[in-house]
Amino acid sequence: MKLVAHSFINASGLYVNGTRQIDLTGEENFLKKAYSELNIDYSKFHKMDNLSKLAFLATELMNEVVSFPAEGEGMQLIFANQSSSKQTDMRFIDSYANQGSPSPSLFVYTLPNIVTGELCIRHKWYGENTFFIQPAFQSAQFIEQAELAFSKGNTQCLCAWVDAKWQGNEECFLFLIDHSEGLLKPTELLEIYKSYTHE
Amino acid sequence: MSNLREELKAQIIEQLNLEDLTPSDIVNDGPLFGDEGLGLDSIDALEFIVLLDTHYGIKVPDPNAAREIFHSVESLASYIEKTKA
Repeated sequence: MKLVAHSFINASGLYVNGTRQIDLTGEENFLKKAYSELNIDYSKFHKMDNLSKLAFLATELMNEVVSFPAEGEGMQLIFANQSSSKQTDMRFIDSYANQGSPSPSLFVYTLPNIVTGELCIRHKWYGENTFFIQPAFQSAQFIEQAELAFSKGNTQCLCAWVDAKWQGNEECFLFLIDHSEGLLKPTELLEIYKSYTHE
Repeated sequence: MSNLREELKAQIIEQLNLEDLTPSDIVNDGPLFGDEGLGLDSIDALEFIVLLDTHYGIKVPDPNAAREIFHSVESLASYIEKTKA
């Protein structure tokens, strides 16, 4: 398997293959600013929670440099994070504890795998998708899961570490892996992730 | 009467958690549902039911009528005005 492309978004900017494409430093609502800068017309974006917005924007940016498979199967999504849907969970709790009634539009985002659903709707991907909750970014597990996906006949895996602990502390590291010849090592993936997060 | 429409737009943004939008982004007679509108779906229709009940004390007893009532800010405002008259 080989790494085809990677993108990253956090409050400092939108990056693709290591290069910052859009500077978001100092933006009060960096997700809204990124959406505006990418000139996307997708009204459902405004309904999404921050976790979904992060993955959506990182995917849109990546789609500018790579072609995803056409409609149908062949693409598996492998996503993970540390905080599940915590940010939205807290807002949902607030809706019924302090605002008078539980909000249905928040409730639908109180599962992290809604993120992958949003992307599958957008790109018409009908393959499998998984979302893991882990203590930290684990590059070896992504590769292990990708190998499993390719053994089932998938041709590409869109993977992401997308986390939204609290407002302003959100990040999405998205990477596309292809089944073709190549040796992708966990250390290589980890180094790329660290280069974005400066760990 | 236009105040009601502006009030509704602000309430829709708050109730549906559309923080990215401002009232000026919502057209009075533009569709609220579907890809050509605000991208709202059946879950958001529940929010409208809550909104009408909470803010205006209005219940929507007929689900078939909801489709027309929730079509736009204009149709929502007209329904409120008619019901409250």
